[in-house]
Amino acid sequence: MEVFVDGESVEVEPGATALIATRLAGRTVATLCFDDRTAAFGACRVCLVAIEGAKAPVASCATPCREGMKISTRDERANRIAANVVELVLSELPSPPAPHTELAQVAEQLGIGQPRWTGATHPVDHDVSHPYLVLQRELCISCGRCVRVCDEVQGAFALTATGRGFNSTIAAGLNSGFAASTCVSCGACADTCPTDAITESFLFDIADQAGQGE
Amino acid sequence: MSHNLIEMLLRSESGEGPPSALASLKQAIEDHGEITDDDRRAAAARSGLPEATVYGISTYYDDFTQVRGDRHLRACTGTACWAARFDAQILELEEGLGLRVGQRSPDATLSLGEAVCLGMCHSAPAYRDGDTVDAGLGALQRLLNGSATEAFEPDWSSVLDRPVLTAAGTFNGLRRALAEMTPDSYLAEVKEANLRGRGGAGFPAGVKWEFARNSPGDQKFIVVNGDEGDPGSYIDKYLMERNPDLLIEGVALAGYAVGATHGLIYARSEYPRSAPALREAIARAHERGDLGDDIYASGFDFQITVEEGAGSYLAGEETALLNSLQGLRATVSVRPPFPAEKGYHELPTVINNVETLCNAPFIAEHGAQAYAGLSPGATPGTKLICLNERFVNPGVFEVRFATTLTEICHGLGGGLKDGHEIKALQIGGPLGGILPGDRLDTLLDFDELAAEGCMVGHGGIVAFDERTNMRELACHLLDFGARESCGKCFPCRIGLQRGLEMVQAPGDLDRDRLEELLETLEVASLCAHGAAMPAPIRSLIAHWPQELGV
Repeated sequence: MEVFVDGESVEVEPGATALIATRLAGRTVATLCFDDRTAAFGACRVCLVAIEGAKAPVASCATPCREGMKISTRDERANRIAANVVELVLSELPSPPAPHTELAQVAEQLGIGQPRWTGATHPVDHDVSHPYLVLQRELCISCGRCVRVCDEVQGAFALTATGRGFNSTIAAGLNSGFAASTCVSCGACADTCPTDAITESFLFDIADQAGQGE
Repeated sequence: MSHNLIEMLLRSESGEGPPSALASLKQAIEDHGEITDDDRRAAAARSGLPEATVYGISTYYDDFTQVRGDRHLRACTGTACWAARFDAQILELEEGLGLRVGQRSPDATLSLGEAVCLGMCHSAPAYRDGDTVDAGLGALQRLLNGSATEAFEPDWSSVLDRPVLTAAGTFNGLRRALAEMTPDSYLAEVKEANLRGRGGAGFPAGVKWEFARNSPGDQKFIVVNGDEGDPGSYIDKYLMERNPDLLIEGVALAGYAVGATHGLIYARSEYPRSAPALREAIARAHERGDLGDDIYASGFDFQITVEEGAGSYLAGEETALLNSLQGLRATVSVRPPFPAEKGYHELPTVINNVETLCNAPFIAEHGAQAYAGLSPGATPGTKLICLNERFVNPGVFEVRFATTLTEICHGLGGGLKDGHEIKALQIGGPLGGILPGDRLDTLLDFDELAAEGCMVGHGGIVAFDERTNMRELACHLLDFGARESCGKCFPCRIGLQRGLEMVQAPGDLDRDRLEELLETLEVASLCAHGAAMPAPIRSLIAHWPQELGV
């Protein structure tokens, strides 16, 4: 199937999404909840693109390609609103994300510095019960990637989304600590986490010591 | 929606249907007032779901997150209750009980929670004591005295000589369809009738049915969205409780058209009488032969089961409803896949609102032309609307489309009580725009209301009188919006919280920032909740900028 990304012709498989098409065309549309090992989730809404004929920008990860579809990754409105969303995300964290994280990189890509929003942030809450993994819940942006890889990739079902609205976050098992859950220590959650909310213990220790040294 | 979790549910399913985690958790909290880890483990074992998944479910629904004493009271915090007393009743209740909302007394004999909304908007403010819903004059005192009584619900009425929706269901439409029409010819009739969905979006029901009919698969489902969560609306409550036969007939007709043999009705737990009324009516329909195997010797089999929710506004969104119906968290799923291809149990599913399906029997009995004739020159069929307590004659009314709001508010509603004036109307629920009181010449119909930034929505009409402060209304609406966000998509999860903080903070609003936020919500949100919560705020900006402080 032929589609056009910023005017460039791209051949995609049937069932491909607009996001896949942009990647095939070599574009780097920013995403936060996307993990190509799992089914489209459509939560972060950062992957906005314009489609010719559509009233408003759409989430490219959840938009199937149609023959001849014209996708623009350079649409001013799509990029502006994606940046607004990422700014909202930054505003829910009590401290800025570490520079190496996907969230920090997406923020940089979209040109967002300090968020203009003030207001509620997530309370600092660390689970260090697990020998290899640490959960820093204040950094969780509820993208669901950890929950989905634990379900769809690893099949361990140790994680869940919890709460609702702004208080949504994640938990392992019955929320009595990671160690008490059915976690098999595969590390897929830490690997996919875009903010280091779940990270490896030794990385957490290094960061923690560096933080104390400042 | 997780494919693996659905597989797990299906594998553990017994002959009697899915042992829902919601049902297990509900039993636990009703039994001992809170949900323990042992309860979660038991619910996981019974439902076949992982423990973590059950933990997530137990933290989502109002019915599970509010701890209960031996006696559990709930105050309705819906918009009609707000419009009646601007939440003064909540403070009086808290003071009288010596408990704040969300608290349980130290001896665990008493607890206070809240619910949005109890569907007693005609007699607001409303309260619930156990399963008794009391409302109106003296209700607060009765609650404090421990003598709550079932609230009186005004009778409904129709402006039509031969009512379509307020007259008891007869099953004549189902009889006629099964005797004289093929599924295809009945489906064609419904498409020709242009029956538009009454749940808010107005999508043509016949088109939806056709998608599901054409989806490959032997087993298909009709799901009834009875999660009438819109504060200020009690239309589906009346239909489910007063006219369940009409709904049952409509569901069976949809099943006939689509090729489904099983209907599922999702009723709200905020309406404690709805699920029992439906189950009783279904049992009677089986006895009469209106449901069951080989209905009227036509060869058509159809059965209906009723599931109850657990307290979540977002469960009324169709993909969230499917999740909730399967006992999971009521969060929204991306479309595609659409429910018509992959819905309940990942099989083709039609999801229709209660009132939508209640129109199906008329079309089967009298045909598309007669249906169009009900509202000449306007959207075909009739519409139920309901009015809040501010009106002299609050209640549910069946009207023709394109009736003026003046006729509705003054003709049927009798204007406001005690000489109050209509400052504004919110029509169709919390996602509907707000119409100034001087625009009552507007017609109640899809396009006409859209032109005013409003919508037909669910048909609930909440009048605000001249005492209402529009900045406080913005706080009320955004508080509802933020609290009921399912938390899945980022714009809604964070944006509604930021919007709420903005209007709650003292002083003028930064209009540019507010409009930027509204645009982000409108364009980027995953479902209509985040995308349409800006509509009433935009109305306030347009019509009451000074009061809003922009």
